[in-house]
Parts: sequence; C-alpha cells; structure tokens
Amino acid sequence: MSEDIVDILIVGAGASGAAFAWSMADTRMRIVCLDQGDWTNPADYPSNATNWESQSFGPYHIDPNVRGLDTDYPVNNEESDVTVVNFNGVGGSTILYGAHFPRLHPSDFRVNTLDGVADDWPLSYDTLDPYFALNDRVMGVSGLAGDPMYPPKQPPLPPLPMGLVGETVARGFNKLGWHWWPSDSAIISQPYEGRDKCLNLGPCLSGCAQGGKSSTDITYWPEAIRRGVELRTRCRVKEITLRDDGFADGVVYFDADGNECFQRAEVVVMACNGVGTPRILLNSKSENYPDGLANSSGMVGRNLMFHPCGFAQGIFEERLDSHKGPAACCILSKQFYETDLERGFVRGYNMQVTRGSGPLTTAMTGYLSGTIPWGEGHQEAFAKRFDHVASVGIICEDLPEAHNTVTLDPELTDSDGIPAPKITYRYSKNSLDMLSHGMDRAEEALRAAGASEVVRSAPLAQSGWHLLGTARMGNDPETSVVNSWGRSHDVKNLFIIDGSIFVTSGAVNPTSTIQALSLYIADNMKKNLTSLFD
Amino acid sequence: MSSIITSDHPLSVPRQKSLNALLDTLIPASSDGNMPSATDVGFELYLQTQADELLPILRKILEDIGDDFPDQTREAQQDIIRHFSATNGEVFQAVLTRVYDCYYQNDAVRRKIGVVAGPLFPQGNTLEPGDLSLLDPVIAHSDQHEYRKPD
Ligand SMILES: Cc1cc2nc3c(=O)[nH]c(=O)nc-3n(C[C@H](O)[C@H](O)[C@H](O)COP(=O)(O)OP(=O)(O)OC[C@H]3O[C@@H](n4cnc5c(N)ncnc54)[C@H](O)[C@@H]3O)c2cc1C
Repeated sequence: MSEDIVDILIVGAGASGAAFAWSMADTRMRIVCLDQGDWTNPADYPSNATNWESQSFGPYHIDPNVRGLDTDYPVNNEESDVTVVNFNGVGGSTILYGAHFPRLHPSDFRVNTLDGVADDWPLSYDTLDPYFALNDRVMGVSGLAGDPMYPPKQPPLPPLPMGLVGETVARGFNKLGWHWWPSDSAIISQPYEGRDKCLNLGPCLSGCAQGGKSSTDITYWPEAIRRGVELRTRCRVKEITLRDDGFADGVVYFDADGNECFQRAEVVVMACNGVGTPRILLNSKSENYPDGLANSSGMVGRNLMFHPCGFAQGIFEERLDSHKGPAACCILSKQFYETDLERGFVRGYNMQVTRGSGPLTTAMTGYLSGTIPWGEGHQEAFAKRFDHVASVGIICEDLPEAHNTVTLDPELTDSDGIPAPKITYRYSKNSLDMLSHGMDRAEEALRAAGASEVVRSAPLAQSGWHLLGTARMGNDPETSVVNSWGRSHDVKNLFIIDGSIFVTSGAVNPTSTIQALSLYIADNMKKNLTSLFD
Repeated sequence: MSSIITSDHPLSVPRQKSLNALLDTLIPASSDGNMPSATDVGFELYLQTQADELLPILRKILEDIGDDFPDQTREAQQDIIRHFSATNGEVFQAVLTRVYDCYYQNDAVRRKIGVVAGPLFPQGNTLEPGDLSLLDPVIAHSDQHEYRKPD
C-alpha cells in the first residue's frame, strides 16, 4: 500500500474539495479524495417522512456534538461565544447549508487599503471573477443580474420566488430608501443539468430531498468521478507525514474498520474547512515542525473568524406563507455593508431576509422565548405568529484576531483517537457594536414593512456555520500560511483550498468565494504543473 | 380515539384520565372550535411508538400532578402545571416537546394550519413569485447603491 502513490490527494469532499477535484480531473492525473464521512441518500432526508421537523433536531442536527454520528468529530466549544456547526460526508457542510450564495465584494479584498484594518488579500475580486462565474454555472445558481452593489454578473438561472415574505420586507426597504436585491442562491429555480427545480419544501438545513439545492454531492462530484477522480469515504485523516527532503509524503488515515492506513501522494491538498484543516495540520507534528505542519508563521489555527449574527423576527397581520420556500434564500440588503465610522464601528454587515419555520419549531421557539404560551392562549398566539413572520438576519464582518483560535483539545478525541478541535473565540467590541446597530436597522426595516411586533435574538450562539481564516493566505511567510494560490510557504507540495485561507471574512456567506478560490487554485496548478514546486 | 380510556394502556386508568386532562391543559382546543385539543390527535399511538423515552417522563409528571388533576378547574390545573414546570423544568420541557411533536405533526392539525399533510416531499409548496417591479426605486437610485471600488 505504501508504494501506491497518487498524484493528487485531496482531504475533504465538501464545497472546496469537490470543486477542486472536478477542475483537476482535466489533467487526467491520478486523483484521490478521502473523506471521513459517507454519501448521504436524499431518500433518507427528513422531508421524506411525516416527522420531518423533529428529525432536524436529531440525526440531521447542524451541531455535530448533538448529531453525534460516528462520521463526526466532537468540537470543544466551551471557551467560545459561538458553536461550530457543520456536516461531515460527501458534500461536506453543503449537505445542510442554506445555499445563500452571495460573493464577497471587491472592497472585501482590500480592507487595509480602504479602511486601515486587518490585511489586504494577495488577490482581487477581478482575479476571482471568472471562477465565480464558472462555479455559479456548475453549482447551478439562481439570481437576478443588475445588482448595483456588484460589478456586472449574470447568474445562470432566474431568481427564486421572493414570496410574500420577500415582497413585504422589500416594501419596507423601499420606504426607507435602502438597497435590496433578490439573493443569489445555490438552489435551482428551473430544471438544470438533469436536476429538477426547487419544490419550496422549506427545511433546506436538513438536506434537500428534491435535489433542488446545489450541494456538491449532486453537482461537482458525479462529474468528477465520471472523469476519473476516486473518492474514498469513511477515511479519516490523522496527520500529514513528511519525506526527508521536507516535502509532504502522504497522509495517515483510519479506514471504516479503524485500521490505520497510509496513502502516499505527490501533492496533498487540504479541504477540511476552517476547523478541520488546522486541526490536522496541528496534529501533524514532527521534529522539524514541533508546532504543527506548515506553521512556521505560528498562524495555523489563529485568526478564526465566524460571522457574528443575530435575527429580528417581525410579526405581521397578514399571512405571509412564511414556512414555504427556501428558508435562507429570499432577498438581501447591502445598505450597511461598507464602513461609515459615524456608526461607531469599522466595516459593515449584510441584511439577509429569511423565511419562517415549520409549526413544531414555531411552537417550541415560541415557548422558549415566552411569545407562545402553552395552555390558555396557545392557539391564539400560535395562529398570530405561524406563517405571519418575516426575519432579517444581520451577518457581520468578523475581523481577524490572533487570539481567536482552533487548537487541539488535550483530552477530547474522536472515535479514532485523533484530538478534537478546541475553539477559543470571543466577540470583539467592534463586532458587538456592529451587531447592535444592525439589529436596530433590522427592526426599523421590519416596522417599515408593517410588522406589529419584532422579536430579537442576538448574538446567536449556534451560528458557527462560516469557518474562516485559520490558515490565511498572504505574500509574507512570516505572517501567513499559504501563498496567493494556496501553496504552503513551508511545504511546497502542500496546498490548502478551503475557508481557512480567507484573509478577512467579508460580511456575506462564504461558500461562493471558497469555491471560486479552489477553482482558481486548481487552475493555477494546472497552468504551472512543471514548476509547481519551484 | 385518543381520549378513549383502555385497559391495555401502559398507564393505569386514573393516570390515563390525568394524561388526557394534562394534554387538554397544555394545548386546549381553540375557542372557535376549529383547532382540536392535544387529546384529540392520537397521543396514545404516539406514546406507543415512543414509549421507552416518553413513559418515564410522563409517569413523573402524572405522579406529581396527582390523580385528582382531572377534577380541578382549568385555572387550578394551569397553576399545578406551572408549579411543576418551575420545580422540574427539564422534565416539563421534555414532556411539552413531545406533546407539541405529536400535535404539530398530526395531519389534521397540519391541514388546518395550511401545512402539507404527511411528508413534505414530493408534494412541496407553491410560492408567490413576488413582484420584481418593486426593485424600480433601487434601480432608479443605482448611483447611491453602487459598490465601493477597491482602489
Ligand atoms: C447549517 C449550515 C448552514 C449554512 N448555510 C450557508 C449558506 O447559506 N451560504 C453559505 O455560503 N454557506 C453556508 N454554510 C457554510 C458552508 O456550508 C461552508 O462554507 C462550506 O461547506 C465550506 O466548505 P469547505 O470545503 O471549506 O468545508 P466543508 O464543506 O465543511 O467540507 C469539509 C469536509 O472535510 C471532511 N473532513 C474534515 N476533517 C477530515 C479528516 N480529518 N479526514 C477526512 N475528511 C475530513 C469533512 O467530513 C467534510 O466533508 C452553512 C453551513 C452550515 C453547517
């Protein structure tokens, strides 16, 4: 087995790993991808059963510590304001994601030049533009061209229906003279590439039974595999090993039966997300790298960014059919996206309009928030709220801070004995001031739209869905882990392509940018195959 | 069917009566009679499928509220349950979650509140497309909403 050398070994079959594998398949090299999880079967997703709502609190829970599948690894969140959520399996977290698919803005790549904070990226929006477009095409993205908040772009599919929720909040934004636009969504509004369109089921966050949501198990992977990429499931990587010359030799992993195996490779590509990747790098200690692999800068695991967020829910007299349609994808407003220091903080936030939840969640959250009592008055309070709500989510830009970290837990391990990640993360004052401003504006928008009551939840702890910054890219090996095309400064045949290489977080959901970056890195590798390690 | 008292029930007859009164107190029927109470949505069947987890917590709350619970006034029943929830928060929440789970996943209830009965898939939902002419003011003021140039 140890003499079996593959050309490219990708670790992680999620958003970035899938896009990268698909692109590299052009080369006809021997490409293998290992993922610790399994394929999911859309016929098993909760929407196929009557108890679809309660299932999302169990086997399809977004928190791996609650879900507790043997394909998951535990995460120690005790010293974090935010709880990490994810999915481990083919498709990675796109299996459970909301598929809200905005791109980072051109300004997001230049925050130091523009606002004097954090660092500029070593590449620009323009560099990624063709890869954004390619990714939109392969994933299947619905949206409306013409948003003045972006350089021109053309989503391949028309926008998803706004529904009454979108129309209602749009009227509120219009009253205030604020920007808004239908969201770019990785959900197909029309039949596309052999997939049938979204059925407006609602609970996208527990998997899409229809396949209308563009998770990478049904977009990139089938074609990558057809073109020769080998995807091995239930292979959990423990560490990356080194050759004597300092190049990566391959990875040690555990197979489904817990056997320790070794896979040699000419190139190792990490795609385990902003928590999983630093975890494995830190666990790959050796004499030359006592602090973990590719970590001469000391930046592996540092600068962890989420997007501090909160939601304001408006209650409306009229019925809005709130539980119908993609929960996270409707319209958005970028009115407060850019810095205005008079607001009392630097950088800005996105306002993401979301729909309502199903009846069981409505009743339970109503009980927990004290807005829907049990007993006398239950029916009336439920009827007033269920299907009568629209929400505005505030997604704040999180600035990188070295003390927000992913480290290895000294005690907690996964079922193969690999140390679990420990998250140490605190909101900054800038983030909390920004969130507070955003929540006020969210309430203002909902009231302008006609809400009779607004309930706020902020900051939201169970919101670690965007995992960024823990192996940042940069031109300086002293302050960054990988260069401008994802290659480790320290180990020349080691690449990182997931959200950990973000320099700053922007204030939008990151997956579109994560995938554009991984396609860009793949393209650079293809163009420089003969000088890849120079 | 669910308010029927049966002899092959895992709870004694007095406890079954208390259970029905408890369900009725947690989710009473709506005043216009349109929405059923939690006693009328097949809780026995639900109990059979979830007995292992549900019976122990039900026994706890039923023991605590006592066999004379059904004879109390509605107001007194609410007070008794409120007291139980204050002193046994976790058990109460677990019971309430199950009662809501049964009630809001019942097809008749779902139909009445406008939710697809049974599995969501493949039926799905129809959504209003939304009026895109609402974007006219945003487009008219494009200059004010233009993206920030990076240089
Ligand atoms: C509930 C939820 C909602 C979300 N909503 C949105 C949204 O609306 N819009 C948006 O842009 N983003 C959203 N996200 C985030 C989005 O899913 C991620 O940004 C994206 O999937 C990250 O891609 P990735 O390739 O970095 O990692 P992932 O997609 O997380 O993939 C990582 C893969 O690596 C594997 N792996 C990890 N460690 C190992 C190991 N040691 N050995 C082998 N395999 C390993 C995992 O099993 C997993 O399959 C959401 C996420 C969640 C959980």
